[in-house]
Amino acid sequence: MNHMPVVRFERAAKKVGKRTIVHDLSFDIAAGEVFGFLGPNGAGKTTTVRMMVGLIKISRGDIFIKGHSITKSFKQAIRHVGAIVENPDLYNYLTGYQNLKHYARMVPGVTSDRIEEIAETVGLTGRLHDKTKTYSLGMRQRLGIAQALLHRPSLLILDEPTNGLDPAGIHELRGYLKRLAREEDVAVFVSSHLLSEMESMCDRAGVLQNGKLIRIEKVNDLVRGGDKKLVCLTLDPAQAQQARNLMTASNYEVRSEERPGELRIPLRPDEIPAVSQMLMQAGIRIYGIQMREPSLEDKFLEWTEEKK
Amino acid sequence: MIGLIANESMKIYSRRLTWILLLLLLGITIGASVLGNVNSARAADWRTETEQLVRQYEDRLRIAELSPTLRADAENKLKIANYRLANDVPAPDPDPWTALLSFSGLIETVIVFAIIVGADIVAGEYTAGTMKLLLIRPHSRAAILFSKYIAVLLFAAAMLALLLLCGYAANVLFYGWGDLRATDLFLNGQGQVVQSTVSMQVLKMYGLSLFPIAAYVTFAFAVSTILRSGALAIGISLLIMIVGNSMIEATAKIEGLKYLPFANSDMSLYIFHLPARPEMTLNFSIAVLSAYIAALLLLSWIVFQQRDVSF
Ligand SMILES: Nc1ncnc2c1ncn2[C@@H]1O[C@H](COP(=O)(O)OP(=O)(O)O)[C@@H](O)[C@H]1O
Ligand SMILES: [Mg+2]
Repeated sequence: MNHMPVVRFERAAKKVGKRTIVHDLSFDIAAGEVFGFLGPNGAGKTTTVRMMVGLIKISRGDIFIKGHSITKSFKQAIRHVGAIVENPDLYNYLTGYQNLKHYARMVPGVTSDRIEEIAETVGLTGRLHDKTKTYSLGMRQRLGIAQALLHRPSLLILDEPTNGLDPAGIHELRGYLKRLAREEDVAVFVSSHLLSEMESMCDRAGVLQNGKLIRIEKVNDLVRGGDKKLVCLTLDPAQAQQARNLMTASNYEVRSEERPGELRIPLRPDEIPAVSQMLMQAGIRIYGIQMREPSLEDKFLEWTEEKK
Repeated sequence: MIGLIANESMKIYSRRLTWILLLLLLGITIGASVLGNVNSARAADWRTETEQLVRQYEDRLRIAELSPTLRADAENKLKIANYRLANDVPAPDPDPWTALLSFSGLIETVIVFAIIVGADIVAGEYTAGTMKLLLIRPHSRAAILFSKYIAVLLFAAAMLALLLLCGYAANVLFYGWGDLRATDLFLNGQGQVVQSTVSMQVLKMYGLSLFPIAAYVTFAFAVSTILRSGALAIGISLLIMIVGNSMIEATAKIEGLKYLPFANSDMSLYIFHLPARPEMTLNFSIAVLSAYIAALLLLSWIVFQQRDVSF
């Protein structure tokens, strides 16, 4: 039983009408793991989260939380889940404390000490008795996390939690999630369309595109995997368009310029000499060639290109 | 379930709108009491006055095109006035209880306010996005839905109690404490003149009005649950209420209409022996309203249970 995953997806799919929004998802998340769920807007992340917490019906397959089917034994399954779905929507006319009290009343065994404790953890103690309509977005996120953790869940689900957080807030969230996973053995499921944030937050990540899980790997492998590196060529800006045309004609993929005269091209290292020779023969003056370790963003673009 | 109802009540009473409604109700009740007091002049000699009333009712009954309700009302009053003269029973002095009996119209205010709260309690959570966090707790959707329903009913009952209490208190200022055991003449279900305790009739009328209040609240609640729009639920419910009041007359002519809730929604009609149709009884009205309440609740529950909550 010790190795039972906290979450198990068994070919879970969602259809609306004839359209399949999420295709058969099958994967596990273990206790103590921070799992990133990546995908561009409209990929089906929120739909997946809604299936996990029983807000929408699962069209086919099932999702198990600590062995309990969310469809067949909702109460036993949801008992172990804390979540924010999309925005941290709160009762604006209640105070922070009343909001927490409200959710505390809905599960057995949450004392008022626990409410104080969790408010302290997320750093809301000072404003706890203010109406939440006076809260900033960051404070709403904190209160959202507090309500999700109130009953000490085994699974924490956060849907795009970094939306509206400043870099300091994101850094703090990252540390907090890691601590939750390491110290309290909570499984954390975080969705995001911002891959850079996932890179440092997650242990493992799944990549969702058009409702299909196209990759699922350890984040380190995701970042390092593949043999193409992103090569950054610095040229005379006046010649950039000419160079781009040349490269495209030779079937290389050229990314948009970040700065004038800076082309970014995914290349295998052994392709670099041939490319530089081709450009020099065309009379293009190269000021620099740099090889970059691709970020998750770059990888993501790469995968989606592959799929097309 | 108690925890859920406590939550829903906390949400109702934490909103400013709720307190505005309660204050309005308070104001309207006191206003009605003052007006009632101004209009109740005592005649020196009750006999001459009652004889005058008898002539007045007889005149009214001679009008050919009198509506059935007004005719029944005049007949009832005539019957009681004649009984007073024949048996030497003067009408009692006005006191808080007789005043409360004349306030039956204020129950409609309670209905309107209860509709406003009942129309928002489900739809409001969809609009605010809080429904998601509410539904991902270890409770069945039925428990979530019905805790809201019960909280609204409790709120409506609290408003009714407030109306009764404040109405009584305001009238105490004008008439003194009144006599709990004072009696007056009423007509029973068979149309016979009987002597009943006024305070008991008051409690009966307000107590029975819980049924129509519940019926309208259930309607607003069901529309709000199904359409997820509080404004629409209020609009439709108030429309039904207005149309419903004018349906009472129509019910007198068309028998089938007695199975609609409208002619069954005014319990004071039974206190004053004015049923929309002679064969309609208090129990019949309660049964009809209960059937509608049950059907609306069933429908709300099915929709709420099945619904994908995707925004
Ligand atoms: N209730 C619904 N009915 C029909 N289509 C929906 C519904 N909810 C979401 N979708 C569609 O499903 C896709 C995935 O949406 P969503 O899960 O919100 O994506 P994400 O959270 O990854 O941005 C989108 O194309 C969206 O238009
Ligand atoms: Mg989303």
